Amino acid sequence: MDWQVILRNLEFMVGGLALTAQLAAIALTGGLLWGILLGLGRLSRSPWIYYPATLYVHFFRSQPLILVIFWFYFLVPVITGKPLGTFVSTVIAFVTFEAAYFAEIVRAGVQSVPKGQVAAGYSCGLRYHQVQLYVILPQALRSMLPALTTQAVVIFQDTSLAYVIGLREFLRRVNLVDTREARSIELYCFAAFVYLVLCLLGSRVAHRFERRREVALP
Amino acid sequence: MIEIRNLSLWYRRGHKVVDDVSTVFPNGRTIVICGPSGSGKSSFLRCINGLERFQEGEVLIDGKSLRARETDIHQVRARIGMVFQHFELYPHMTVLDNITLAPRKVLKQSAKDAVDRAMQLLTRVGIPENAAKFPGELSGGQQQRVAIARSLAMEPQAMLFDEPTSALDPEMIKEVLEVMIDLAGRGMTMVVVTHEMGFAREVADEVIFMDHGRFLERKSSTDFFERPDHPRTREFLSRILR
Repeated sequence: MDWQVILRNLEFMVGGLALTAQLAAIALTGGLLWGILLGLGRLSRSPWIYYPATLYVHFFRSQPLILVIFWFYFLVPVITGKPLGTFVSTVIAFVTFEAAYFAEIVRAGVQSVPKGQVAAGYSCGLRYHQVQLYVILPQALRSMLPALTTQAVVIFQDTSLAYVIGLREFLRRVNLVDTREARSIELYCFAAFVYLVLCLLGSRVAHRFERRREVALP
Repeated sequence: MIEIRNLSLWYRRGHKVVDDVSTVFPNGRTIVICGPSGSGKSSFLRCINGLERFQEGEVLIDGKSLRARETDIHQVRARIGMVFQHFELYPHMTVLDNITLAPRKVLKQSAKDAVDRAMQLLTRVGIPENAAKFPGELSGGQQQRVAIARSLAMEPQAMLFDEPTSALDPEMIKEVLEVMIDLAGRGMTMVVVTHEMGFAREVADEVIFMDHGRFLERKSSTDFFERPDHPRTREFLSRILR
């Protein structure tokens, strides 16, 4: 065992975390925003909105993420005629994919808000987008928080899949060091440790946040 | 003025919740609708401001049809207030934000104007000290008074009440009724679905008896209680008045 290998390459490997964090943050916000629209679409009374949204959600939930990443990397340049670059294509793949999962979380969250709240909003003259924005979504997001936290942790771990198209995020860098130093056990133990610490930290922060919301909203 | 022509509503074919109702609610009057539960009173009320999509007939507000292509249903709703059985205050907002949301977003009032008006209304319903509280911190009676203030903040031309006291503990019913009596005294057009026969007798100009989706009887409140015509009305009154 040579644990020194970690210290020798620490800077290089941890540097990949910045990219991992960036990717996770964009996937989370972009996926959530797009997922809110899709989730509301899944509840729409108009078949022109309901069916496309439903098809989208079912389609991407049936696909492995790794395939979606490949898809945007190889196929989109063929369609658009110019390459997207590794990072951009990964970001698009993640937002597209995660939105399908967020959509179902949002749908459940919105359905958990009593119907009378919608009626109350409308009866004051508010329009659909105002009712959703000011009345329904703030309440829905609150009940969605545990599910959102879980999904955020999943996204964070999923970012490692971007290594298949050569994006040099954290796990890819660990992998690169391993090919040079041939210290698999030490290096992958280190990687596991880093994921463990960061995900635990993330859940703790989210848990705190949830509890504070409960206190603020009797 | 609110005019209803041949209004029918159903959720399943063959079972009409509101069955061919035609009527007029003149300005400045307080009209009570009573009847057994499941008679279609609440559904009828929700048709008036388009919360319920009815299949047949017309609702005309000041001569304009709710279903006409050129009618903006949101503008109509902004001018007709509604108070619900379970208050339906927004639980994540303070009392003040509950009241000022629609005036700011729909009427485009400045924050200051909206807050000033909200405080006036809270004073009128007797709870200005609760402006910064959340609905969950208030009693049922207080919540319903906030809900009335929220509707009034839109300066409505008419108010619909859907069993406003049914979810309240007995000792809180009076404080809500007092606000409604005050409102009737100021000449507000009110359509009230309620089981409060005392309110109907004392405050309403007219009382309607509804059963199986139809208006069976409509009379001035004195005549309604003294000289009911329909046997179903008599039966209902004998059961509810004891």
